[in-house]
Amino acid sequence: MYRVGVDVGGTFTDVVAVDGAGVVTIAKAASTPADPSVGVIDGLGLLAASLDLDLAAFLRATDWIVHGTTVATNALLERKGAKVALLTTEGHRDVLEMREGLKDDRYNLRMAAPEPLVPRARRIGIRERTRADGRIAVPLENASLHRALDGLRRDGVESVAVCYLHSYRNPRHERLTRTAVERALPGVYVSLSSEVLPQIKEYERVSTTVVNASVGPVLGRYLDRLGDRLAQAGFRGAVLIMQSHGGIVRIDQAIRLAAGAVLSGPAGGVSAARHCGRLSRLPNLIAFDMGGTSTDISLITGGEPQYARERGVGGHRVSLPSLDIASIGAGGGSIAHVDGGGILRVGPASAGADPGPACYGRGGVHATVTDANLALGYLDGARFLGGRTPLSLAAAHRAVDAIAQQLGCGSLHAAAGIQQVVNTQMAEGIRLVSVRRGVDPRRFSLLAFGGAAGIHITDVARRLEMRRVLVPRLASVLSAWGMLTTDLRYEVVQTHVTDATSGKKASAAVLRRLLARMEREGRKQLSKAFRGSIGVHRALDMRYGEQIFEITVSLDGLDLAAADLMDRVVDRFHRRHEELYTYSVPGQEVVLVNARVAVVGELPKLPGESRTIRDSGPQRPRPIGKRRIYVDRWLQAPVFDIDSLGPGQTVAGPAIVESATTTVLLRPGDSATVNEFGWLDIGVGLR
Amino acid sequence: MLRTSYSQILNSSRDFSTAICHADGRLVAQAEHVPIHVGALPWAAQAVLNRFQDGIRPGDVFLMNDPYHGNNHLPDVTAFVPVFTGNVLRCWSINRSHQSDIGGATHGGYNPGATEIWQEGIRIPPVRLYEAGVRRDDLLHMISTNVRHARDFEGDLAAMIGSARLGESRLLALLEEYGPETAIQGVESVLDAAERRTRANIASWRDGVYRGEAVIDDDGHGARDIHIRAKVTKRGSDLTVDLTASDPQVTGFINSSYANMRSAVAMALAYLIDPDTPKNDGTFRPITVIAREGTVVWAKPPAPVTLCTNHCAQEIGEAIIKALAPACGDRAMAGWGRRFRIAIQGRNPNTGRQFIWHLFHARPGGGASSAGDGWPAAGEWQAAGGIKFGSVEVMEARFPLFFRRHEFRPDSGGDGQYRGGTGSILELVMETTEPALANTAGDGARHGACGMTGGSDGAPHHYRLLSGRRKRVLRTKETGVRVQPGDVFLVESGGGGGWGDPARRLPEARRADVENGFTTAKGARKRVSGRR
Repeated sequence: MYRVGVDVGGTFTDVVAVDGAGVVTIAKAASTPADPSVGVIDGLGLLAASLDLDLAAFLRATDWIVHGTTVATNALLERKGAKVALLTTEGHRDVLEMREGLKDDRYNLRMAAPEPLVPRARRIGIRERTRADGRIAVPLENASLHRALDGLRRDGVESVAVCYLHSYRNPRHERLTRTAVERALPGVYVSLSSEVLPQIKEYERVSTTVVNASVGPVLGRYLDRLGDRLAQAGFRGAVLIMQSHGGIVRIDQAIRLAAGAVLSGPAGGVSAARHCGRLSRLPNLIAFDMGGTSTDISLITGGEPQYARERGVGGHRVSLPSLDIASIGAGGGSIAHVDGGGILRVGPASAGADPGPACYGRGGVHATVTDANLALGYLDGARFLGGRTPLSLAAAHRAVDAIAQQLGCGSLHAAAGIQQVVNTQMAEGIRLVSVRRGVDPRRFSLLAFGGAAGIHITDVARRLEMRRVLVPRLASVLSAWGMLTTDLRYEVVQTHVTDATSGKKASAAVLRRLLARMEREGRKQLSKAFRGSIGVHRALDMRYGEQIFEITVSLDGLDLAAADLMDRVVDRFHRRHEELYTYSVPGQEVVLVNARVAVVGELPKLPGESRTIRDSGPQRPRPIGKRRIYVDRWLQAPVFDIDSLGPGQTVAGPAIVESATTTVLLRPGDSATVNEFGWLDIGVGLR
Repeated sequence: MLRTSYSQILNSSRDFSTAICHADGRLVAQAEHVPIHVGALPWAAQAVLNRFQDGIRPGDVFLMNDPYHGNNHLPDVTAFVPVFTGNVLRCWSINRSHQSDIGGATHGGYNPGATEIWQEGIRIPPVRLYEAGVRRDDLLHMISTNVRHARDFEGDLAAMIGSARLGESRLLALLEEYGPETAIQGVESVLDAAERRTRANIASWRDGVYRGEAVIDDDGHGARDIHIRAKVTKRGSDLTVDLTASDPQVTGFINSSYANMRSAVAMALAYLIDPDTPKNDGTFRPITVIAREGTVVWAKPPAPVTLCTNHCAQEIGEAIIKALAPACGDRAMAGWGRRFRIAIQGRNPNTGRQFIWHLFHARPGGGASSAGDGWPAAGEWQAAGGIKFGSVEVMEARFPLFFRRHEFRPDSGGDGQYRGGTGSILELVMETTEPALANTAGDGARHGACGMTGGSDGAPHHYRLLSGRRKRVLRTKETGVRVQPGDVFLVESGGGGGWGDPARRLPEARRADVENGFTTAKGARKRVSGRR
């Protein structure tokens, strides 16, 4: 029986199957941006073929498919989401565009105000009002609602976001509105703020709800299509979707909370990095996932990834918990150009999967990073993707020559320049997540993966004075593999404002009941797709009475039945406050604001992916050939097949280590040792 | 600081700054939300150094707020934590936070009736609040007794010192890792690099002697149309800003302290150079400032100065930017709305406790620039989008206030090739059960935000108080306004100034403005027919 991970990137669709014994099979297909589900089926077909099965037989033998998708992300970044209308409390229709009066960079006057996802003309005030304590001040007026709905029908709106003031406290008006919208506009996607983010603070709530409404229909159409295609092909198991917070949920849940999938794509890479860190006992890693279109960078410290409570995606606030991942718009397919000042630049435009880099010979004419790498001898045109897609050196040269002419230098210099520019950008990206946050990258190891990382990584490491780089054997498909290391996760949050320091006995009883209800809700959702061991994590967002920002206090390990529950909770809060902010104020009133419950269905753990690695015979690795490569000058470099290398063997740079799906360039001074899992553990020679 | 402070003005509106200064007081780095705080802290650090000379020891914490001792104005209390390695003072970790109340004759820190600084609040010259790690509780008690909400003041002060201590511990880690000498050497290179970068910017502008002026509505005590005049000489990579022709100081609190005047000049420069240039001591080296004590930009004691971080700071900046617009037109943005605040003091019937609430909602519009339309409801020039108004839901949950309406104000942005950002409309209902008291403090009910390079001014503010059937216009500088339960504030804040000739505004931009209600159909007709 198989578990399958599917990672759809801008350029390639990576698929990984793991069988009951932990044996890994991988495949890579070209992505099909117009309908990514085509590429998924292609990839699964290739995977079946490598297992000597037909697609139907393979899918019948598959229990579940975990899928990370950038469909929601791209819809948001490219503003290709649904046509959304916002129904909101009359007199408050500009919350979304006021952005709390903030401008991110005060000094940058060339920064135009961001276009809201819903223009003012489609933000409609509805006569209704709920008070802060949940009482109704103005009952929902049907006439006002129906006037709005008539307008939306004429306007051809695909999706409706509903966000009323204080709906986290009393969702009644939002629910009535949903019923009316569903009746008046059948088939339209409806998002209620009281379901997407039942939390106080209207800007965060309205923005997250609007993002949900914008990407929901797009994600829904895609996942429905994918589900249909898989069913047609014979799949009967469950499809689980990667969430921004690193957990996975069922398709219907993913569609309903689409805003939770805006980092679905890169989240698999973070899970993989965490798992790799555990296997290799390296608690401090910088995960570097370089694909064709972009590079995702994240930090693993003390074995755990970093989380953000909210983040901006394309300038839109999403206040759902997510992994803290920085993306930079540069990858193997990034296009080089010369700007008005005569300066060489790379990206953010990408040749993507279609037409792809010039050397793919599919009509691309612009020089990309991949073209430069081919011209510098780093890639083997004949062996690329196992020979399925031979690369044209002549086409690469033509494209790079055009850049060289604009720069007024030789072709070789232009290619080396492209390589240098992109490596500088990558190093800068790593600085952003480390140095800028007070973390010294030199104390970390780099975990390099994604199809394009291997060629660039030791140069990037050198620029940051990082001494150690790990390249897993599965580097080119590591994110897809990482998706199989995650757990099913269902998060429930509920605003519940209580003074934790008075009326303690009653509030403890209420809190127990609330947590139990939230846990039941989580278990119910989880049990639809899962039978197995379930873990529950509870936490409370708390603050001192007069503060307005809460800190999250974990209740893990706390006896909920304890008679002095509130005292223990408050005590944990004081301690956490002191840890974070150097002081606490014992004796002050402490307020509980949100309760959080995460219900986690634990999936069987993946072993290291090395089960199939045999101890290789000869002690000295034997190259499979030689190649001329350009690193400051032309050098002869031996070429090794990664599959022929065994644990303990060492390869010194300059050298090239290749597999069917990736290439690792060892520069002079670098030295790679193969570890117990068959990964390259590279010592970077610092100058 | 944001996450731990108690007062609305800090945790919702972020009216604070943190900074690192060199041991000798020079600014090294500032995490600022509010541009007018930039460049003011070194003067405060200098004052602490002068007062305590060699008597600074590890574990000490200093406090001050007096504008005639190097601070900017009384509500901005500044805490200083000296950072030592061994017995050597290496640098300062500083927090400056705007207090919800600072004592004095009126609540909320602003007293438009003041004619002397003593009427504005408690004056704290540089004092030692912690002596070698031990807090001087008697001193703290003396200060907190002199402000209205001692508990909130002490909570905010704990947050301030906590944040400065956090800065200290992170600085110590840095100093230890690289060795203090190396780290401090690094600081010098950072300052020099900022200077080089700023000079390269300035050098690209046209040389010449330029003049600009800005006008304040009034001082609340009979003086009207108060002028700030800047003569700016640009030669090579140097700027000389001469403010001596500004009007003499006035009776009311729009006078500026020296430190605030210096930071207003620094702010203007920061708006003109490349935005990602770090703001530190090096950045401001190319500027020479000439001013005269006794003028409105540099008042002699004991003149009141509390409004100065808004007005006249904003007008000092305006005069300089207007002056330099011909030298670097694309960099000169149009004016942002002026500040017009209301502070309400009363009793919250839900908690039984006294409260002070500051109006940060209904922000005025941002100025347009060569980059496009101004940001809507993004605030005033001295903050430029750095102050947040906070959640309406949180306000309603914590104060006896009901926000009936809070939206953009149509037709308020100044016309131009790029339109000024719209201001806002707020209808705020008092849900108190007994009379409350309000003050106003601000300007710009007659003079709107200035247009630039051919753009028009934004609409000025228009605030009213509706009490039963009686409606009256609120002036920008009032004290002791009685507010009855059920009264409604009708606040219409000003729009930003426009940039460039209105004739060059694209027809589709005008159409979109009407479609989205940024301009009304009537307003749009007026704009088109009003064109030359």
